[in-house]
Amino acid sequence: MASRPTVSIIGQDGKATGATEVLPKVFSAPIRPDIVKHVHTGMAKNKRQPYSVSEKAGHQTSAESWGTGRAVARIPRVSGGGTHRAGQAAFGNMCRSGRMFAPTKVWRRWHTKINQGQKRFATASAIAASAVAPLLFARGHQISQVPEVPLVIDSAVVGGVAKTRAALALLSAVGASADVEKAKATKKLRAGKGKLRGRRHRQRRGPLFVYSSEVDGKDVVQGFRNLPGVETCPVDALNLLQLAPGGHLGRFIVWTSAAIKELDAVYESKKGFFLPSAVVAQPDLTRIINSSEIQSVLNGPKGEARTKRGNVQKKNPLKNKQVLLRQNPYAATFAKEASTAKRESSKPTPLPEAFHELLQEV
Amino acid sequence: MSTSTVSADLIWEITRAHNSYQATSKTSGSPRFSRDPLNLFNLDSRKYAGFVNDKAIGISPNEKGGVVVVSKKVGFANKPRSGLVSVTFGGNKTARKTYKAVANKAAKNGYRADLRAAAVARVSAIRKSQRTPKADPVKKLRGNAAKKAASA
Repeated sequence: MASRPTVSIIGQDGKATGATEVLPKVFSAPIRPDIVKHVHTGMAKNKRQPYSVSEKAGHQTSAESWGTGRAVARIPRVSGGGTHRAGQAAFGNMCRSGRMFAPTKVWRRWHTKINQGQKRFATASAIAASAVAPLLFARGHQISQVPEVPLVIDSAVVGGVAKTRAALALLSAVGASADVEKAKATKKLRAGKGKLRGRRHRQRRGPLFVYSSEVDGKDVVQGFRNLPGVETCPVDALNLLQLAPGGHLGRFIVWTSAAIKELDAVYESKKGFFLPSAVVAQPDLTRIINSSEIQSVLNGPKGEARTKRGNVQKKNPLKNKQVLLRQNPYAATFAKEASTAKRESSKPTPLPEAFHELLQEV
Repeated sequence: MSTSTVSADLIWEITRAHNSYQATSKTSGSPRFSRDPLNLFNLDSRKYAGFVNDKAIGISPNEKGGVVVVSKKVGFANKPRSGLVSVTFGGNKTARKTYKAVANKAAKNGYRADLRAAAVARVSAIRKSQRTPKADPVKKLRGNAAKKAASA
């Protein structure tokens, strides 16, 4: 690559400050939805809490089978008398008040281990995807008023956003408030029991604000935390669950300039990890073919500008005269001869003179 | 990054299964539609997916009649705010001239010749929808009702 791509830094008023930053290397990592999806599936499992039915459920009765010969099924039945419960079937998963089939246990394998290399690959891939505007549109982010993707805000103006009002003003200046509004508008009451379990509402994700804890400070977290859908994350603790929610690539990320600057160092500090690089530098075949390097060494096109069509359609020579002539040049002469011969042969033969005489004779 | 290094084909492969513009119907056999404003046929396909392609055209009705034609600027893939050009063809312009202008916009200068017919078709549909419908002709009376009306 001749020169590394750069990104312009946006100021308080939403316009480029003129300063640019070289994009960190991680933005050229290959975009691999398969890896991201796989890692996300594993990581999403690691926050689960164990649940199970009671160990005793369905077994708190002293039921015994009546055995054969009583004309009822051999399922265990509640012993005793004097109550409706006596004689009812018990224990089985098909029984009322019986235990469930294969009662859930707290020692189910709740968590999965994901290889660190894979996790880092997925994170790098998700960061790279966050710089591709079409993927952001495809995820549903409202970024039509955003000046540039990735969106980098000058750290000098980020310092003053300890208050939510200032944070919202900054986001609307850089065209990111539409995404916040969208997240707010999608707030819905959750279906099912989750409502009772501290997950009352569900809503879309808005922008992810990535900052540098050293330069930008932790006040930004307070400034942004009450904005619907907006999440914050320090650049040295990027999390795939935030970078690719649902395993879908293309989260809208708002970076501070300090965070972008720090990103290369963050990846250099990861021991034994090399940023994944694409197998081919330019995967766009059309672009390679149309590049001046290729086009300049190619031979010019051979033949005429208009190419004769080959076997486009089989034409019937018995019906199509031109095709017949092409196959059989003699056909024209043959046809002509045949027609003259026919004309001559079909001419009526003159009647003999004697006939006329006989006709006129009175 | 002024130009995206990610090819449209890769973007399509990533997003073809799921994207925010898709409108799928539960009835089987129905086409998959797209809500993409840059999609001329509202069909979820590689050719018409406006958010995927580097060059794409979107046509929508203008409030005061006529159509608004939006197209993507090449090289502005990662600058959403400045990446679109919008041209308005008003309702007073004849439909034929609007077709010509839209067809040229689609096909000239190596933009998207394959979208020419689709663009013209969409303009035509929009123009048709903007016409005020003709009033129904007064119904002629027939039979007894006609006799009664004649005698009265």
